[in-house]
Amino acid sequence: MAEFHQLEIKLLQALREDCRLSFEEVKDKACISGDSVSRAALWLSSKNLLKIERKQRTIVQLGSEGKRFVKEGVLERILVQSILEADGKSLIEDLSKISGLSDEDVKIAIGWARRKKWLRFKKEEGKTVLLVQSTPDVEPDEKLLEVLNKGYVILEELDNELLTGLEALKSRPNVLVFKEEADRFLALTDKGLEAAKKITKIKEEASQLTPELIQSGNWRQIKLRKYNIKAPVSNTWPGKKQPYKRFLDELKEKLVAFGFKEMAGSIVELMFFNCDALFMPQDHPAREIHDIYLVKEPRHGDLSSYRKFVGNVKNTHQDGWKTGSTGWKSRYSIREASSLVLRSHGTALSARTLVNKGLEIPGKYFSISRCYRPDVVDRSHLTEFNQIEGIVVGKELTFRDLLGVLDKFAREVAEADKVRFRPDYFPFTEPSVELSAFKKGYGWVEFGGAGLFRPEVCLPLGVDVPVIAWGLGVDRLFMMKGEIDDIRSLFTRDLEWLRRQGLR
Amino acid sequence: MVAEAGVEIMPTIEVIFNDLQRLVGSRLPREPEKLSEVLSYVKGEVESFEDEVVKIEIKDGNRPDLWTVEGVARELKGALGIEKGLKAYKVEGYSTVEVHVDPKLEKIRPYIGAAVIKNVKLNNDALRGVINLQEKLDQTYGRKRKRTSIGLYNFDLVKPPLYYSAVKPTAVSFVPLDFSEKMSLKEILEKHPKGLEFGHIVKNQHFWPIFTDSKDQILSFPPIINSNDLGKVTEEVENVLIEVTGTSLETLMNTLTIVTVSLADRGGKIYSAKIFYPYKDVKTVVTPKFENKTMTIPTKLFNEILGLNLSLKDITDNLKKARYGASATPERVIIEVPCYRVDIMHAVDVIEDVGIMYGYNNIEPRWPQLATIGETSQKEKISDLVREVMIGLGFQEVLTFSMTNKEHLFDKMCVEKMAVVEVSNPKTLTYTCLRNWLIPSLIEFLSNNTHVEYPQKIFEVSDCVLFDERSETKTRDVRKLACINSHSTSNFNETKAVLDSLFLNLALNYQLEEIRHGSFIEGRTGKILVKGEKVGIIGELNPEVLEHWKLGTPSAGFEVDLDKIFEI
Repeated sequence: MAEFHQLEIKLLQALREDCRLSFEEVKDKACISGDSVSRAALWLSSKNLLKIERKQRTIVQLGSEGKRFVKEGVLERILVQSILEADGKSLIEDLSKISGLSDEDVKIAIGWARRKKWLRFKKEEGKTVLLVQSTPDVEPDEKLLEVLNKGYVILEELDNELLTGLEALKSRPNVLVFKEEADRFLALTDKGLEAAKKITKIKEEASQLTPELIQSGNWRQIKLRKYNIKAPVSNTWPGKKQPYKRFLDELKEKLVAFGFKEMAGSIVELMFFNCDALFMPQDHPAREIHDIYLVKEPRHGDLSSYRKFVGNVKNTHQDGWKTGSTGWKSRYSIREASSLVLRSHGTALSARTLVNKGLEIPGKYFSISRCYRPDVVDRSHLTEFNQIEGIVVGKELTFRDLLGVLDKFAREVAEADKVRFRPDYFPFTEPSVELSAFKKGYGWVEFGGAGLFRPEVCLPLGVDVPVIAWGLGVDRLFMMKGEIDDIRSLFTRDLEWLRRQGLR
Repeated sequence: MVAEAGVEIMPTIEVIFNDLQRLVGSRLPREPEKLSEVLSYVKGEVESFEDEVVKIEIKDGNRPDLWTVEGVARELKGALGIEKGLKAYKVEGYSTVEVHVDPKLEKIRPYIGAAVIKNVKLNNDALRGVINLQEKLDQTYGRKRKRTSIGLYNFDLVKPPLYYSAVKPTAVSFVPLDFSEKMSLKEILEKHPKGLEFGHIVKNQHFWPIFTDSKDQILSFPPIINSNDLGKVTEEVENVLIEVTGTSLETLMNTLTIVTVSLADRGGKIYSAKIFYPYKDVKTVVTPKFENKTMTIPTKLFNEILGLNLSLKDITDNLKKARYGASATPERVIIEVPCYRVDIMHAVDVIEDVGIMYGYNNIEPRWPQLATIGETSQKEKISDLVREVMIGLGFQEVLTFSMTNKEHLFDKMCVEKMAVVEVSNPKTLTYTCLRNWLIPSLIEFLSNNTHVEYPQKIFEVSDCVLFDERSETKTRDVRKLACINSHSTSNFNETKAVLDSLFLNLALNYQLEEIRHGSFIEGRTGKILVKGEKVGIIGELNPEVLEHWKLGTPSAGFEVDLDKIFEI
């Protein structure tokens, strides 16, 4: 005979004499929790030793309107009572006043009083008068309310009189509430009874090895129950890095290894650093409200610590200043330069770094910065995103060195097999280049943009050596690696997905 | 510096493959990837190739001369060695068209330029190209018609001399393009789609510009709309009048040049017009002017910037491929810049073209040998420590948006509204301001995961933005940590144990002081103090807050200002 689980044994023993007991009775008799009874019952029924029977019943309780009736009486009784107090007679339009009921309730009360034949109508001088003779007897519906006031009734157990009352009350809204409940009974099958009879004595068996058992040495006397080691267990989730953050962390590590120092900036930025210092003309289409978030209040920041630089930039925009450029030949407003915006690209941090007194030459810098653009968020657009940008500053740096930096990034960061450069355009760099990386299985991927900062950018900020400026489009790389096609997943709101992400 | 950044507005042009081949005068590869390779000389990339129509994205927002098939072909001819050096454009003669300008326009939209192109053969494709170019120039180079706007007319219907004048908004009416009824200028601004789009340029003026001929026929209402009678250019039109109005004479002349040389490439003959200005400093101007600029660049600068070893011949050869005129000595290179190259502001612009013609992929990359020491910022180092501890405590890291709205930050959190950094041009009502605390972002995250198995333990280390009068941006980014522990028996003490562990691991002491805060349950809320200074808040979340976010599970959490705890 198959071995039984301890719980199964307890259940079989509890049912041995009566064969059929309610769930609650089994629980009490076997001295185990409801959960345990359920589990053991399921196991036994799957072995055809036990039958689980369900008996449906309907609980009837008072609804909100019902509770009011119990407290104040049914509407029609209130009405009839108040007519009686007014000498058994009242004009229809006075009813609300004498009974204290709302017009709506009066209408309902008349309807029911009429149906119960508690009042009569009469025409007197063209007006309708209501007449009541005596206090009506208590009817079944009111009796049911009385009973319900003590708690609840079971529909299936009601006598005929109360059933009549129930029928009447059922048609009135919110008076009664019905709840279906099931009572469970456990009954042994013939096979089950046979099995139960065979169980004579529970062998000392333990499911958990306890400190007491070990320390007392009693573990020698007991038998540890066998587990079904293949049975599923509950989930447990570790704390983990957010995958996109982990990806950025790894990137940062690589950049630091290449000798890059992290730059600092702020989310709210001066238009001066976001655009002007980068030689983007003040009427440039990319500076319109569609492309840059403007701060509502205060609208302007403080440029006073950059007076000299602002003056240089202004002159450079207007006529080229000492840079050898023609400039934009458009009017330049310092007020506009002091506007506050949400940083729209990471290059703003590079501009800040160039004016920083601590700028090291030679120097390599990078930033991973949150940037903002007024876009509607969908599967290919975000209104905020991270940009990875940086600069390399040094005497005698050339476009060839710039390609060297990009080539390194493509091979080490994107693990590219082949690298390709194509001409590109940015308002603040010349020459400018687009970097593509070829990876087996992925094909060509646009991976970044770069250029040498224009003299119109460097000289006004007091830098007279070449500056390589670069940016990496790593989001696409991350999405490709993770086979993600919805950019919103970078900032995923799906906990289940985060939990199930593997670390490789 | 990345395409996704989208700081540039990239023009896209549509060309017919055969038309492009014919204009270049050479066979071109049909395979998109190979065609892109060729188009990279003009910073172009094939976006699509269907039914013989190639959509090309021109990745240069500053080269309007490339926003047309003729311009692209002109440049490719050089790059492919089919036709090198400067291409001369000439004005055939004076068209005898006079344009008289009204003095009232000086303060409204002062300048106008015009040209007549005769014998143009505008088949459907060419016509579409011209109209596309016109739209792109208006949009980008013309700053959405504010700086310049272009008009094209059927010259055979126009009776010169012409008048560019200013009139009252209700004084004149005509049938605008694509309409059938006469409308006054005022009605055009109120009803015509172009009036609605560009009306703001003239709206606040008492007088509005109008362009008419000697028979009082209306040509257009610049910069809004042409007349339907004269300003409709179709395939049958052989002689075209072009007019550009604007606020900058230089930009206007450049625009006129770019459009006219394109039509000249199509075989048109260009005739000039004379503009009579009544202004103090400008009198008579003949348009268009095809003036090439001369530039002198020190020879050594080419190799200094590109990092190459180009000979004098290499330099001049590549300049000519880029359609410049060039002659060189060991000291200097003298360059003739074509009239349509309105982007050339500095020697570096020319030097880039030499690099492009030499071929970027022919330059051998060199990793610069600079001895520099890499380092992450202090803020990031601290953040990483804190993240490590939180992960060790079994919390899942999340990353949420820093933009949100005041309803999420305050109303749904049962706290009084506070001043936060708001943007004046939000795109949607969901993202209108920057968050000043993190817990609402975490609660929003949890509210998206009520169907996921509990316990849910999450944290985030991110920036919030606070006002700071002393800062030059009037604000300050504050690095914060927040966490929430959510499950059926989550409570204050369990979360306090996490806080204890965090501070123990950061080797810091803290105290708690009971406070009242709308987001948390009274009596189960504390402010976190380090050396007497408030650095954060901890508490069990108010069930009303949970209800607002449709969370049915008890939750407790805390938020700590990391900048502050490491400053103190």
